[in-house]
Amino acid sequence: MNIKEAKKDKATVLAIEGRLDSSTSGELEKVFLTIMEAGEKNIVVDFAAMDYISSAGLRVLLMAAKKTSKLGGKVVLTALSANVKEVFDIAGFSSIFTILASQEEGLKAF
Amino acid sequence: MQHLHVSLKNKLEEIATLAEAIENFAEANNLPNPSIFQVNLCLDELLTNTISYGFPKGGEHEITVEIVLRGGTLMITTRDDGLAFNPLEKSEPDTSQGIEERPIGGLGIHLVRNMMDDIEYRRESGQNVLVMKKHINPLCSEDIP
Repeated sequence: MNIKEAKKDKATVLAIEGRLDSSTSGELEKVFLTIMEAGEKNIVVDFAAMDYISSAGLRVLLMAAKKTSKLGGKVVLTALSANVKEVFDIAGFSSIFTILASQEEGLKAF
Repeated sequence: MQHLHVSLKNKLEEIATLAEAIENFAEANNLPNPSIFQVNLCLDELLTNTISYGFPKGGEHEITVEIVLRGGTLMITTRDDGLAFNPLEKSEPDTSQGIEERPIGGLGIHLVRNMMDDIEYRRESGQNVLVMKKHINPLCSEDIP
């Protein structure tokens, strides 16, 4: 897994490449914590290049959503593949996250 | 090849090796991508649990995964000699809760129960044996070259 980080006007974009699972989710958790410690509360997570997510990945996203929500911000998810979207649907995450089609749309959500 | 047998050590890195073997099996049998994504995800969830919590005393253990394709159904059997754990006894999370109320964790088994069509657990000769069935949707005719 690779994470590309880009600070934009209203939010920080994290573009995830590859697999988000039990062996890589800790890395994403660290990135979330680092940017939140630096004062960021609005985050777009772009899944355009992410092909796999397990519950370990869901766990880190929920943690980030809880923390940003307390700070008055949010986590927006973009460009989910059909397989990944189904995981979100079954987990009941589609209703607690804002999910949009593209990173551009995601950045307009703040 | 309508039968796949993979033997793994109790190390998380082995899950990626299994996923690769399953992808090759799926390709050889022309199985549709969404079904294989779900099979890999379910095995990842189950084996991550077993490897992380099943062997508190450590040491090297063998976990086996057997997949048989018959009549449009995959029959998947996992065996391990870890602590007795019946995933069917785990309580279901409330997936209607909002961000604040939602507890962190407990989703892995929930995904397995929803993605597999049938799950049976038994404890047999000191082993956890989990037998799952996944019905495979045949590929649409336009997908076949």
